[in-house]
Order: sequence, then C-alpha cells, then structure tokens
Amino acid sequence: MSGWSLPGMEWAWLAPVLCLGAFVIITLWGRRLPQGGAYVAISATGIGLLLSLFVLRDLLFSHPRSFGFTWFEAAGTRLEIGMILDPLSVLMLGVVGLVALVVQVYSLGYMHGDPRFSWYFAAHSLFAAAMLGLVLADNFLLLYMAWELVGLGSYLLIGFWYERRSAAEAAKKAFITTRIGDVGLLIGILMLFNVTGTFSISRTLEAAAAGDIASGTLTAATLLIFLGAVGKSAQFPLHVWLPDAMEGPTPVSALIHAATMVAAGVYLVARTFPLFQAAPGALEVVALIGLFTTLLAATMALVMTDLKRVLAYSTISQLGFMMLALGSLGYTAAVFHLMTHAFFKALLFLGAGSVLHSTGKMDIREMGGLRRRMPITTITFAIAALALAGLPPLSGFFSKDEVLGAVYQNQGPIIFGLTLLAAFLSALYMARLLFVVFGGKLKPANDHIHESPLVMTLPMMVLGLLALVSGLAAMNWAGPLLGLPAQYQGIGSFLFLHEAEAFHARPALMLSSTAIALLGLFGGWAIYSRGWIRPEAISRRFAPVHRVIENKYYLDDLYGGVTNRVVLAFSNLVALFDRLVINDRGVNGTAGLPVLAGGKLRYHLTGKLYNYGLAMAAGIVLIILAAFLL
Amino acid sequence: MPVLTAILLLPFLGALVILLVPSARVLAIKVVAAVAASGTLGLSLYVFLSYDHVRGGYQFIETYRWLPGAGISFHLGVDGISVPMVLLTGVIIFAGVFIAWNTALRAKDFFVLLLLLVTGVMGVFISLDLFFLFFFYELAVLPMYLLIGVWGSSSDFGTFIRTKEYGAMKLTIYLVAGSVLVWVGILAVYVAAGLGTFDMVALGRDALTPDLQRLVFPLFLVGFGVLAGLWPFHTWSPDGHVAAPTAVSMLHAGVLMKLGAFGIIRVGIGLLPQGAEAWMPLLMVLGTINVVYGAISALSQRDLKYVVGYSSVSHMGYVLMGFATLNPVGMSGAVLQMFSHGIMTALFFALVGFIYDRAHTRDITMFGGLAKRMGTTAAFFTVAGLTSMGLPGLSGFVAEFLVFVGTFQTYPLFGALGIAGAAITAIYILRLLARVFFGPLDPRWEGLSDPTRIETFASAVLVLVLIFVGLYPAPLMAAINSGIGPLLAGIPGAG
Repeated sequence: MSGWSLPGMEWAWLAPVLCLGAFVIITLWGRRLPQGGAYVAISATGIGLLLSLFVLRDLLFSHPRSFGFTWFEAAGTRLEIGMILDPLSVLMLGVVGLVALVVQVYSLGYMHGDPRFSWYFAAHSLFAAAMLGLVLADNFLLLYMAWELVGLGSYLLIGFWYERRSAAEAAKKAFITTRIGDVGLLIGILMLFNVTGTFSISRTLEAAAAGDIASGTLTAATLLIFLGAVGKSAQFPLHVWLPDAMEGPTPVSALIHAATMVAAGVYLVARTFPLFQAAPGALEVVALIGLFTTLLAATMALVMTDLKRVLAYSTISQLGFMMLALGSLGYTAAVFHLMTHAFFKALLFLGAGSVLHSTGKMDIREMGGLRRRMPITTITFAIAALALAGLPPLSGFFSKDEVLGAVYQNQGPIIFGLTLLAAFLSALYMARLLFVVFGGKLKPANDHIHESPLVMTLPMMVLGLLALVSGLAAMNWAGPLLGLPAQYQGIGSFLFLHEAEAFHARPALMLSSTAIALLGLFGGWAIYSRGWIRPEAISRRFAPVHRVIENKYYLDDLYGGVTNRVVLAFSNLVALFDRLVINDRGVNGTAGLPVLAGGKLRYHLTGKLYNYGLAMAAGIVLIILAAFLL
Repeated sequence: MPVLTAILLLPFLGALVILLVPSARVLAIKVVAAVAASGTLGLSLYVFLSYDHVRGGYQFIETYRWLPGAGISFHLGVDGISVPMVLLTGVIIFAGVFIAWNTALRAKDFFVLLLLLVTGVMGVFISLDLFFLFFFYELAVLPMYLLIGVWGSSSDFGTFIRTKEYGAMKLTIYLVAGSVLVWVGILAVYVAAGLGTFDMVALGRDALTPDLQRLVFPLFLVGFGVLAGLWPFHTWSPDGHVAAPTAVSMLHAGVLMKLGAFGIIRVGIGLLPQGAEAWMPLLMVLGTINVVYGAISALSQRDLKYVVGYSSVSHMGYVLMGFATLNPVGMSGAVLQMFSHGIMTALFFALVGFIYDRAHTRDITMFGGLAKRMGTTAAFFTVAGLTSMGLPGLSGFVAEFLVFVGTFQTYPLFGALGIAGAAITAIYILRLLARVFFGPLDPRWEGLSDPTRIETFASAVLVLVLIFVGLYPAPLMAAINSGIGPLLAGIPGAG
C-alpha cells in the first residue's frame, strides 16, 4: 500500500471539474451516448460525492486548509482563484453532492421520454459544477464567477421547456431579478478589493476583523454583498422570481430552487459572517429582512392552491428563517437548518413531482386521498412535512429549535414572538398540504393513478431517511458514536472548530416549540381534515385580506408594471431622443448646413472665367502677404 | 521573413488575384478569398504566438525609406496592444469570408473590396509611422462605403425608415469628418515637435510640451473617438451596422470600431500622455454615458440588428472607461474588451444574418420559438448574449471585470454605473432571447432551418474563441500587459 494514499483535501477541486467535464461531454455527444449521457452526469456527481467523503475524513483528522493558484495577471494585478476546505465548505460539498446525485437518479425516471433528455442532464451537470465551485471558493472572484454560473444553470433549467411562453418568461424573470442582487454583490466585492487589495475571502475577513476597513465602507460593502444574497435566496423584496421558477421540471425545483442555489445566499452570509459582525448595523438588517420575509412568505404559502407554489413560498419562508438566525448571531443554527432543510425540502419537491407525474395535476383542490394509491410518496412526504413543521425527533425539530434559541437569546420579545408565529404558520401550511393532498377521499378522476417507479421512489426514501435522522447530528453523542476525534461532538463543535459549541438543549424552548408545531398541525387537521372550520368560511370572512395575499400582495404586479411601463417607457424616450435630437437635429441638421451654404454660395459661381481668375489672384496676393507678415 | 509586410500584402494580393478571375467563376473567387483569409489568420496567429511578451516593446520591426525629405518612412512593428488586434482581424476576416460564402450579387467586387478593407485595417494596427497609419485608416473607410451602398439592406418599419444609402453616406461623412480632426492633429504634432518626422517611435512621448499636448489631444480623442462610437458621435454606428451586409457588419463592428479605440490609445495616449491625463475625466463621463445610454437604447429596438448595433455602442463604452482610468488594470481590461467585443459582435451579426437570410425580416415582434427550428443558431446566440452580459467563463467577463476593478480605483461612482449598465444589458439580451428564440413556434417560421455547415463552422470558430479567452485569458493578457506598461510610463499620476 505504500506509495499512494487515499485522496485528501487537495483533490476537492475535482468534484466541480468532473461535473463540468460531464457538461461538455453531454453537450457535444450526449445524443449519441446511451441513455443520452445521463450516466455520465450521474457518475461525475457520484464520484464527486465519494470524493467529498474522503475530504471530510481528511478534514476531521487534520485541520482546515486552502489552496490557490494564479488564474492570470493583468498589468501587475494578480487574479487568483482558490478553494477553502473548512467545516462549512465541506459540509456544503456533501449536501450539494448528495442532493444533486439523488435528484439526478430521480430524474432518470421523471424525465424519461423527454425529447431533450440529454440536454437536461447537461444543464444539470453545469449547475452542479457551478454550485460545487461556489461552496469551495475561498476567493471573491471565483465565488462571483460560480455565483453567476449557478444563475445561468438555473436560467437554463427553468426555461427547459422553452416552448412554453410562461417558462421562457419565468427563466428571464429569475435571471434578471437575481442579477439586480448581483450588481450589489459585485460592487461590494470591488469596494472591499479597493481597500484590501485582495480577493481572498479569508484575508478580507481578517482585515475586517482587525478593523482595517473604515466602518462606513465596511457597512456599505457588507450590505451590498447582502443584496446579492437577498437576490439568490429570494428574500423580500427580490423574492418574486422563485414561485415563477416552478415552471421548470420538478426535480430542478428540488435541487436548485429548494436545496442548493437558493441556499447560496444564506451560505454567502455565513461564509462572510465576520464582515457582518464587524459592520455596524449589518446584522440588524439581515435579521429584519429575514423576519419580514419569513412571515410574508408563510402567509402566501397558506393560501396558494398550486402544490409547487405552496412549496416555493414555504422555501422563501424557511430561507427567511435562516437569515433571521444569522442576523441573531445563530451561525450554527442557520447552517444546520440549511442542511436539514435541503434534505426535507428537496424531498417535498420530489414528492410533489411524484404526484404531478402520476396525476398530471398541480392544483391541490383537485387532489385528495392520494395515500390510497401512492403509499411511498405519502409516507416520505409526511416525514418531510412533519420535519418542516418541527416535530420531534425529526431533523427539522432540532435545527428549528436552534434557530428559535438564537432568536430568543439575542432578540427582543416582539421578534421572538413573531418568530414563533412563523413557526406556527409553517406547521399549519404543511398540515394543510398533507390533509388536502393525501387525506380525505380519492376523487374519481384520480382513480387510475399509481405509485411512481422505483427509480423515483428510491431517491425519495434516501432523502426520507436523512430527513428523519440528520437532526441527530446536533446531539453531543453523535461525534463519539461515529468514532470521531474527541473535539467533535455535535454539529456545533464541527462548525465552530475553535470555540466548540454544543447543542443547546433548552427544555422550556423545546417544549414550547413542540407545542407550537402540534398546535399548527392540529389546526390544519381541524380545518382541512375535519372541517370544523370551513376554509372557505375563513377566506370569505377575511375576503379583502385573502384577496391581497392571493395576489401575492400585488408585488409582482407592481414590479411588472414598473419594468413594463417605467423602464420601457424611459428606454423608448432615450431611443427617441437618439433618433430625433441627436440624429435628426444634430447630425442631419449639421449635414443640412453645407446644403444650405451651398444654396447661398451657388449665386457666386457665375461660370465666368474672369470671376474665377480674379478670385485666384486675390488669393495668391493674400497668401504672399500672409507669408511676409508671419 | 518580413511577416508584417506579408500580413499587409496577402489580402491585397488576394484582391488582385480575384480581379483576374472572370466574375462568372464564383467558386474560384471564393476559394481565392478563403485562401487569402486563412493565410492572414495563419500569419496573425504566428505573430501572436511568437511575440515575446517578456521582452515587450515593438517587435517584427521593418523599416523602409519612403520619403526621407518629409520624414516619412514605411515603418512597421507590433507591440502588446496591436498583437491582439492583428489576431482579432485575422479571426474575423477568416470567419467573415465563410459567412459571406453565399453572396450572389457581384461576388467578385464584394470579395475584392472585403480583402482591401482588411489590408487597410491591418495597416493601421501595424504602422508605426503616422503618415501611413493615416493612409491605411482612410483605406479602411473607403471600401466600406461601396460595400454598404451596394450590398447592404434597408430598414423599413413604416414610421422609421433608414435606407442603406443613408447608412453608407452617414458612415462615410462621419468617419471622414473624424479623420480631418485626426489629420489636423497629426500635422500639429509633426510641426510642433519640430523633429521633422512622422515616426511615432522617434516622436516618443514628450515630443510636445504638456500645454500643447493638452491642446492637441482632443483632436485625437474626438477624431478617433467618432470611429470608436464615442457618445454623442455614435449614431453612424447603429445605422451603418444595420445597413451593411453580414460579413461587412462583422468587420465593421468587430474591427473597424477598434481602429478608433486603437487610435486613441496608440496615437492619443501614446504620443500625448500628459494631454490624455488632462482629458480623461471627460472621457470617463462620456464612456459611462456610452455604456448606459447604449444599453437603454438597445432595450427598445424592434430591429434585431439595431439591438446589436446599440449594444456595440454600449460595449465600446467599457473600452473608453478602461482607457479613462489610466491605470494598468483598467487599460488592460479595455484592450481585452476590444478583442472580446470584436469577436462577440461579429458572432452576433453573423447569427442575425443567418436569421435574416432565411426569414427575410429582422422585426423582433414577428418572431417566436425559433429555437425549435434553429437550435444551433439559438445556442450560439445565447453564448454571444451571455458574453455581452458579462457572464463568467466567457471573454466579456474577464474584460469587463478588469475595467470595473480599474474604474473602482479611480472613479468608484462611475464603476458602479458601469456595473448597472451590465445589468441593463442582461435585460435587453434576455428579452431578445425570450422573444425571438423561446416561446411557442410561430407557424410562419415552420420552414426555417439551421445555418449550413460552412456557416456553422465559421460561427463555431468565434464561439470557441469567446470560451477559450473566457477560461484561459493568460496568453492574451501576457501580451497586453507588456504593451500597457510602457504606455503608462509617461504619465506621472498613473498606476
């Protein structure tokens, strides 16, 4: 065995590069490969995942490291690209690789027979490569590049069925909306570069922590970076693209618009957390945006009738929850919730895909009683829904509890109360889905449906298992049980290597959060299953409120109106200005001058030789005079 | 081997040979054009690969006495700034000849003029003598007039009509007006320096006193700036691009606009560095206007080609902004942007040409779902669009990123505006993609087809260059870096 050893951290770059290679291969030759090259994509992702296990092992038994090289040099400024391997990035590497692999396998069944099957896997690989690159980046330049490419992957996959006008529009909306955030991100990065002279994230964070950056600049740059996170993680006011993004194939929603890309904003804030700690006022903004988003989206999740849109608003709400945790100094809580949410929310979407695959419908009012025909989908969906609701001992319970703990500790009673309200709402809307979709009687129109094939249910079961147990990573006996070095107990001590942070078991908080989850589930049961209160009666009673929420608070209409009326009108005005003022007045007007002048001068061109002779003579005299005088 | 003379003469010889071929033998004409263009590309690649960027400075120098009495010599040479431009021209004429493969009307005259144009363009990039630089500059402009006037196409939208004759005349008048300013500037330098030479190397960078430099610089800035699409002298450019036939649009936006930018950097900044320093704040303002104004104007165009035309105005703004930083990063980004925009816009015009050839309209509102029938065109158009949006992995990102880094060091506010301009670019590009290529296929366009093999090959070359430079800019940047250093050495406040 001497001479070679297991791959370690220095090989982590291979994970994104393999996926990029799969993208190139499938794009060029996919149609000629068996299965459209799907197995190339799956192998690349699978090897990447395997690799991340070795990387994790290496990290656990050594220490965080970073690697870098010079990409190119621009007149004295060296543009470097580097990766970092610390607990945060390795955790994300695993989460992204795992969900991507599971979703790709599921897609084998879900996308079967699609005319662009091959392109689907190519775009999937491109996205996976960008996302893996994003989490590995120790460098704002590479991070920004991967960040943009992640957006491109999302654009291509939302618009996968581009023949549909709605899909083409949704893809465009998603890209443009997140681009607005990216403008902020890039400006923020360049502001920091101006001060520090480096794109290295770790060195920038050190400079910020050491107080080398003036606080005004630091706050401005940090908030601009946060704007990028707001766009990607679909936080208010840039959240409008995510529900529309559901136009893409459902597995895409599971991977990109639930588990990974939308979490990139949360990841970015976590990665640059010291900036937020050092910049006065930044954390407050993060917390408030998170809190507002989580409540706003939860109310919308409660009234939407499209299964995927309910899940989309729930995603926005949960991401708001993570932002709120970050804003309340709950770094571990946010990352932990990011991980558990990735598993159970991806599972929810895969479940929704399974339902859609089988019934061909997305409107929950046309469903009901599906548990009779789709047992595996029902069970896994229920696990995920209850995890999201925060029921012990499912994964969501632990991570949600951590978030509540962080808010309780660092925020006032009003914010904590509102956070509990958000937790209650999330349990309520999940109960609504469970009882409306799977409970009750089977509708005659759905009599023919059947469970999805194993290639789809197996990935769901894998995620179901993770949604069940991944919360236990929080427990302090998790590390010793797995035989890890002594300093690793739960996930808290893993993420905070230097100041080991144990799982906070606060019995009172745990009890009340469980009570709130149960209350929400009970409410859902009472309304949507027993019908003690008719949901229609509620919406009638509060008709104006209901209408406002149903119309997404009119925010989409507002933005649409602004782009279509104001921006386009302004652009027409500029174009008209270009045509009428600059061109017709300025250019053609100037061009008219010689014509006009020619018209006048014409009368001096008599055609008589002696007139010209006289003029010539006069000219010569003038020149001679001038030569003498000068 | 006198490589530079060969680069200059090869297209010219090609044109001469074509003159000897009877006009009925179209295939022979095209083969000669293709051979000349391939040879030009080969030679420019050779120059690029064998340019020693460690040594830097002017290389491949050739000097021939021409009119010693007037101080004019035929002095050729390339440095790190002109090498990428020579390569750019080689790539574009190579692709352009194949894109124009199906030219039916008077093919002989067309290819003669096209090759003549290339000789003119190459001459500007490699001349180190102001007299010849100007001579080739004019040589590049004149064939353009005929190419647009004869082979061009008019734009008719009822309320808005632009004939090809209007486009051709406007372009020529503009460029000639610009070159009058340039000529006055050249004479001013010649006289004021009192060295009795037009040689740029001999003139150096302090031939004129700082006061005179400040006085003369605007002549070059505006004179060359016209050709670079400098606001508010830009309106010839969309009109000219739109009226020109596809291959000419490619050369026109791809290379000709770069002549203007090249003139500013080589003659303006090179000979009058202190004059440049005084006028750069103005250029920063105008360049930023170019970026934002061009992007906003592009947003509301109905003619596919006008969108690309205004996008050129917008993207040339980044070049001007990069110059205006007068710092190494920004300037190197600007030169890279010249290269990147050249390839990108040539690709754009080629693709628009494919669509126009088949659909006989360029009205965006008439299209829909073309991706279904023209998959390759849609894919390539997406690549060009993403380059123009500055998406990483493609050359535009590297160039614009460097311009932004440079601008933030000097004028942060304008840097932010430039980044916002890139976001507006995203809006018009994505609108265009959604309108033209995506959505349900309009039954009118059932019969459309993807480009021919030759056309696909030519545009694929451009796509590959965009990706290669986007992923691995180091070779190009090494050359550019070696050119920027000496240029900025003459500016006390730079760097």
